[in-house]
Amino acid sequence: MKKITRRAFSVLLLALAIIFGMTVFVLRYADEGGDWALYFASANSGAGGELRDRHGVLLASFDATKYAFSDDAETRVACYHVTGDYWNRTGTGALGAYWDLMQEYSLLEGTNKKEPKALTLTVDAAVCRAAWNAIGYNRRGAAMMMNYKTGEVLCMVSLPSADPINGEAPVADTAFINRCLSASFPPGSVFKLVTAAAAIEDLGDVFSRSFSCEGEYTIGTVDIHCTGVHGEQTFEQALANSCNCAFAQIAVATGYNSLYSHVKAYGFLDRQELDGIGAIAGSYRTSYAGDPELAWSGIGQSTDLVTPYAMLRYVAAIANGGMLATPQLILSDEPVEQTRLVEASTADKLKEMMSYNVVSHYMPEIYFPGLSHVCAKTGTAELGDGTSHAWFVGFLDDPAHPYAFAVVIERAGSGLVAAAPVANRILRAAIASEG
Amino acid sequence: MPITGDMILTASKYLLIALSLLIMLRCIRSMLSSGYEAETWATARWGRESVPVTHWENLIGRARSADIRIDREGLERVQAVLTRRDDGRWMLFDVFSRGGVAVDGRAVGAEGAELAAGSVARLGGVNLRLQDLGAEKSGALEEKRSFAGKRVSPALTLFELTVFELLLLAQHLLTSPETQPIQISLGFAVLILLEWFCYYAMRLIGRSGFEVETIAFYLTGLGVSVTASAAPQDMFRQSLLILAAFVLFLLLGLWLRDLRRSEALRPFAALLALGLLALNVFTSDTLNGARSWLSIGGFSFQPSELVKVAYVYVGASTLEKLYRRGNLIVFIVFSAVCVGALALIGDFGSALVFFICFLVISFLRSGSIATVFLAVSGAAMAGFLAVSIKPYIARRFAVWGHVWEDVYGAGYQQTRALGAAAAGGLFGKGAGGGWLTDIVAADTDMVFAVLCEEEGIIIACCAVLAVLTLSFFAVRTARRARSAYYSIAACAAVTLLMAQMALNVFGSLDLLPFTGVTFPFVSRGGSSLLACWMLMAFIKGADTRRGGSFVVRPAAQLWSAAKPKAQKKGGRGA
Repeated sequence: MKKITRRAFSVLLLALAIIFGMTVFVLRYADEGGDWALYFASANSGAGGELRDRHGVLLASFDATKYAFSDDAETRVACYHVTGDYWNRTGTGALGAYWDLMQEYSLLEGTNKKEPKALTLTVDAAVCRAAWNAIGYNRRGAAMMMNYKTGEVLCMVSLPSADPINGEAPVADTAFINRCLSASFPPGSVFKLVTAAAAIEDLGDVFSRSFSCEGEYTIGTVDIHCTGVHGEQTFEQALANSCNCAFAQIAVATGYNSLYSHVKAYGFLDRQELDGIGAIAGSYRTSYAGDPELAWSGIGQSTDLVTPYAMLRYVAAIANGGMLATPQLILSDEPVEQTRLVEASTADKLKEMMSYNVVSHYMPEIYFPGLSHVCAKTGTAELGDGTSHAWFVGFLDDPAHPYAFAVVIERAGSGLVAAAPVANRILRAAIASEG
Repeated sequence: MPITGDMILTASKYLLIALSLLIMLRCIRSMLSSGYEAETWATARWGRESVPVTHWENLIGRARSADIRIDREGLERVQAVLTRRDDGRWMLFDVFSRGGVAVDGRAVGAEGAELAAGSVARLGGVNLRLQDLGAEKSGALEEKRSFAGKRVSPALTLFELTVFELLLLAQHLLTSPETQPIQISLGFAVLILLEWFCYYAMRLIGRSGFEVETIAFYLTGLGVSVTASAAPQDMFRQSLLILAAFVLFLLLGLWLRDLRRSEALRPFAALLALGLLALNVFTSDTLNGARSWLSIGGFSFQPSELVKVAYVYVGASTLEKLYRRGNLIVFIVFSAVCVGALALIGDFGSALVFFICFLVISFLRSGSIATVFLAVSGAAMAGFLAVSIKPYIARRFAVWGHVWEDVYGAGYQQTRALGAAAAGGLFGKGAGGGWLTDIVAADTDMVFAVLCEEEGIIIACCAVLAVLTLSFFAVRTARRARSAYYSIAACAAVTLLMAQMALNVFGSLDLLPFTGVTFPFVSRGGSSLLACWMLMAFIKGADTRRGGSFVVRPAAQLWSAAKPKAQKKGGRGA
């Protein structure tokens, strides 16, 4: 008997295994229980949640049985990529991304919610509507704006868009893609802001150099063509002229390594996040491929791709003395984190140059009536088929209205003609909406 | 909901947890806090030495693990087995000893010879005599043994359990007052009445050990609550099943009282098991991927559940049989056929449960001697399992650990189980207040998560603890069992329960691949409940505390039933 009952302790190995397993479960439960519970929160808490814009305008609401959105169709469609929908088709929608924030979970009580919880976003529905109208029904593009002091994103609009209340309705091709975060475009001349930063820092005498343009510049066997014949220019004039010949020379003189390291340091090659919502990465040549390609890449062509969001971050940092106020999508009282993206002196010089661009070349009295201190850069990114994306990025150098913006409109031609009016509209809408 | 109802619901959550912990603590304290005195049956004497004989089956030899250890040069490590028959006669068996064993000068073989009082057994140059204790002396010794349930009042524990179940009922009535309140109330009423009937019936026959039943009733009560949430319309059927399970528990327990009778029936139990499995392999319906369901007269049941009981019944063995050649081979073949049949049916979970039980039983039976052989046969069986892996099982393996990547596909059940479990928090949503029960098979395969969601993770863990407590008790009480048959059966029974629970709980929580086995007692499902209650009879069989178990006849009763001749001789002494 002793012999057998001694062996009986082997049974307890199984008991030990169970105790071990339960310990693992309890630890995981403590660690990940919130995620588990909130994944199915719609099923287990009838209270639901709400999304509101910065002025309290209802954007979306839901409970266990239904989803509802703004009564105003224009608001629904303009804010579609901000709110998302029941099916989470856009992938960047706050309904999907901030689901858990609208639920309540505690380790002690699990999900026990009685009242719907409202989440206030930093976006301004009025500004979004303005952007949507400014880009217009039949164009594709993206407009994004943020307060560069607080990081609050006021506008994130992408066209074509969809109506979140109707999952059956046919939508335009690629309507679910949020072009602000989930699409990257050839930047064209707006990329000269990055080349310029590299030159300011690594090409010591750039401000004393002069650059000549005869409408064409030849590197080896490759011709870099320009939009005009700009003659002899200073560095500032070259940026204002958006002179390809000058920037081809600058890019080659600055060198691949300097350009690449600046592109990388400014975050163009990373998957950026907007308050937990992921954006895609841009691209730049990962190795030197000869001077002609380097020249093209310095003027935003070649294989360069950037997201409007990455561009917005860059100009917002320039506006803020090189410090990037971390972009926010959820309105909060907490002080925003500021990180250095651009050297302070570089940012200041770029700011002066962008201001000079507007004053000397962009006809502010026509394009920006009623706005002052606009600093910007145009971009007309050639696609090789005769069309080009129209870019306009910049900011108001005005402490009362500290707004940075990035606008891109697909195959719309000139940046100044096609995209600047959109920027003008959203800036004015943002100022009008200030309470 | 009126404010008062809300308040009652909240208060009941805390009370349920407190009661649950209290019931567990009391059961653990009662079962495990201290060892209990052995029964004494006779005195073995050789030379000037003597030892009390505390089991019905005793190994004699020089080994430390011998029950009657005779530390003399001439003796072999394991030489003989001394067995007490139900009628009081003692039998001596030679277990392959080189030197041989003789009683009164006649050589004893493996088939044994009676060692009557006054007879002399000669083994390894030692003369061994046996002196039966006799009714009087034994009675006096029995008086000194402490009563089961003396330290912790079983009636108070049962009262706490009753309050626990009434609170569960109150929660159901508060959270979902429109769903079948009468059926649910009746279901709980039947359970509570049965508990007290069982208690008083046991008291009537002088039994005060009630912890195993209390734990079984505790788990069954949680099962009733799950039924009330998931399928209140089936409450009546569930109540009938609980009654049937209890009756089967009593019948099997009473049957196990008689060791010879129990042993004699083992081949029939084996045939019954094989017959059920054969029926299953050839005729049953396919449900949830496995052909493990058998429909008879409108009731569908899983034969594999009942085969579990038969498997334990067949797998356990008395000590002298263990030392017969070939006994293990037969068992291995039997196990292989069982596991093989289950694999054929596609009931991967049950096959695994059986395999784990097989490992434990064969280790108990053979120890290290045959480990090599066992490992080989075990591996062969595992190989059979591997062969049996079908596409749907392979899918379950593929999704294991990645359930959140396929929430609407292969990870459907596990993710919902995890989500619901976490939604309940520490205190739960109240019985009947969860959503997981709306999902198919939540009340069987994901029942642990249902407990987490409705009663909170503490009570869910108490349910696991309850089964673990049974296993610790079984291992402990196996040392004092009268026969190796009861020891092995009790250990095998708790192994089955634990293996099943581990696969159920960890499968639904994505710690193991998902297998559709049941949580003992709690999962809704008739055949499983019947089997679990019957397995309890095996645990009761090993419990030899004074007044501990209805499966164990009190010593006094046995003395009076013993043959007068044996008693007379015993009285005279050797």
